[in-house]
Amino acid sequence: MRVYESLRTGTLEIFNNKLRSFLSFLSISVGVISILYSITLIYSIRTRTQKALEVAGPGRIVVKMKDRWNSSSDMEKKQARESLTLEDALALESRYPELFMTSPMLRKWIQFRVGNFSEWQSVLGVDPQWRKRGWIYKMRGRFLNQFDIDTRARVCVIIIEGGWLKKPKWLKFYDNKDRFQEFVKHEDMLGKTIMLSGNLYTVVGVLYEPPREKNPKAFLQVESWSPKILAPITTVQRFLSGYDESEGGIDQINLDTGRESTINAYKARVEKFLAARHGGRLNFLEIKDYRDIIKDKLADKQRDMYTVLIIGAIAILAGGIGIMNVTLATIYSRIKEIGIRRAIGATRGAIMAQFVIEAMLLGFFGGVAGIMVGLGGIQYLASKGNEDMIMLQWWMPFVSVLAAVATGFLASLYPAYQASKLDPVEALRYE
Amino acid sequence: MIKCEDLHKVYPIGKGSGYQALRGVNLHIRAGEFTAITGPSGCGKSTLLNIIGFLDNPSSGKYYFGERDVTAFDDGKRSGLRLRGIGFVFQSFNLLPRFSALDNVKLPMLYAGMDKEPAGKLAAELLARVGLAGKESNSPVKLSGGERQRVGLARALANRPRLLLADEPTGNLDSGSGAGIMDLLLELNKEGLTIVMVTHDQGLAKRVSRVIRMKDGLVEN
Repeated sequence: MRVYESLRTGTLEIFNNKLRSFLSFLSISVGVISILYSITLIYSIRTRTQKALEVAGPGRIVVKMKDRWNSSSDMEKKQARESLTLEDALALESRYPELFMTSPMLRKWIQFRVGNFSEWQSVLGVDPQWRKRGWIYKMRGRFLNQFDIDTRARVCVIIIEGGWLKKPKWLKFYDNKDRFQEFVKHEDMLGKTIMLSGNLYTVVGVLYEPPREKNPKAFLQVESWSPKILAPITTVQRFLSGYDESEGGIDQINLDTGRESTINAYKARVEKFLAARHGGRLNFLEIKDYRDIIKDKLADKQRDMYTVLIIGAIAILAGGIGIMNVTLATIYSRIKEIGIRRAIGATRGAIMAQFVIEAMLLGFFGGVAGIMVGLGGIQYLASKGNEDMIMLQWWMPFVSVLAAVATGFLASLYPAYQASKLDPVEALRYE
Repeated sequence: MIKCEDLHKVYPIGKGSGYQALRGVNLHIRAGEFTAITGPSGCGKSTLLNIIGFLDNPSSGKYYFGERDVTAFDDGKRSGLRLRGIGFVFQSFNLLPRFSALDNVKLPMLYAGMDKEPAGKLAAELLARVGLAGKESNSPVKLSGGERQRVGLARALANRPRLLLADEPTGNLDSGSGAGIMDLLLELNKEGLTIVMVTHDQGLAKRVSRVIRMKDGLVEN
């Protein structure tokens, strides 16, 4: 009841001092906008990281050849002859059969040809374990099987990109059409015979990616430019002639221990095991926890997020100071009123509550104004294809307004306390 | 109803001994009395009224309000007594200018925890009682002095107090309006309300049942 009365008085005061109120709304609004933006960003990064990790597998370890051509030390350049091999992968698999996945990969850059159509493409040599993690596809036909690997069969699987649900505007200007994707989208490739580097291969399966916005792989950009043609790794190694960086071996082995808790233990074991197989030298390899790779990829976004968050905090702080100032000004201009209210029986608590509620109301209105502008901005960014702003959740505006109201509350505590301590007799005499 | 024993009030001035506004006031007011406190400016009348009305604390001495020793009451209890036990009428009315007459009268009831609707109804009755029926929604700024004081009186009566304190209630009014207010006060007293009034006006003092003269912080006999 008293709250209702205070709300009414507060609204009256806000309307009676329009400029004063507007100024404090302004800073609070800016704060709320940036809070809204950063909450959305944080939420987006968190959920998408989680999804990406889910898809990649919880206990993922990546064993990878180092990028030797960019290395600065002679020592590493000399290591160039050493390479990771398919035999390493097979040995790992038989040494640690409890691993959920041991998936070797080799990438080659080749010419793809069907009839008159030809295009340079990369082919990824994999084995059936590849599909154990990161399987986000709809499939027609079949995937590569162990028989293909054992017989070095000349078969392949083609991945068709999911495109966009809502294409970002900037892409409409800069996107040069992917001719290969255009081609495979419009021809039914399943069962067709195609030429890879001048040899005939049969397309045994077609995989359909989900749209970009829903593709966890695309979000992290860890595997976004991955090859769109898959073939048995043994075939790729033996028969497919094309450019590669593996020095006759393979590029990478993806491991999955099955559980996050065992990553470190297996990382050490794999390191020892591979060192033993390569004469103790391992500096041509990187053995990485997949989560670290993701973290590196996210570092930029995180910096972004913190910047916005800090700006938001500063704006809210400025808003809070504004509210404090307004509350002080209000109190000074209403000393007489405080005296009157005290004289007719208002307790100190009632006086304090009145000013705190007024300030919270200021925060609330400023917050609502900020939300309206902020939601508009986020809608705009989302329509421009900002993948993070799509993740706006219904509760985020409420949290932001709550932050604004809380700012009003905190900022007004001290001035309101001062007001409540005024001597009623003095206050009544004040003109 | 009110008993004061040896009340002192010292206002500190700098580091010295301070200004002695009351120097040992003894006072006994019975329920139902209409008492006028008179005396020259600076004699301590208003200070005494503020202490009786729980707006101010005595520096020493005892104050009994309805048999209870209230000298050592904390702010919360004193606020409660101001709210429910007494009503204040001020010389300068002290109405909230941005509130309507009705809202001004309602305010103490809302502080007392009454709901909005019954408070509004009661406030309208009180305004009618002081002769302001039909002017409920007027802002005090648009009322004449006499009307403002009637609003002030209605507000003082809002929580059915046992004691009404009036500090120069007619001081800012012309003689006609002042007489009207005085008639109302007398009427209320006849209905049983205890009233203590501070006034300069000897004419008003003559109309009440008891007059207390003060001089230099003391009650003269």
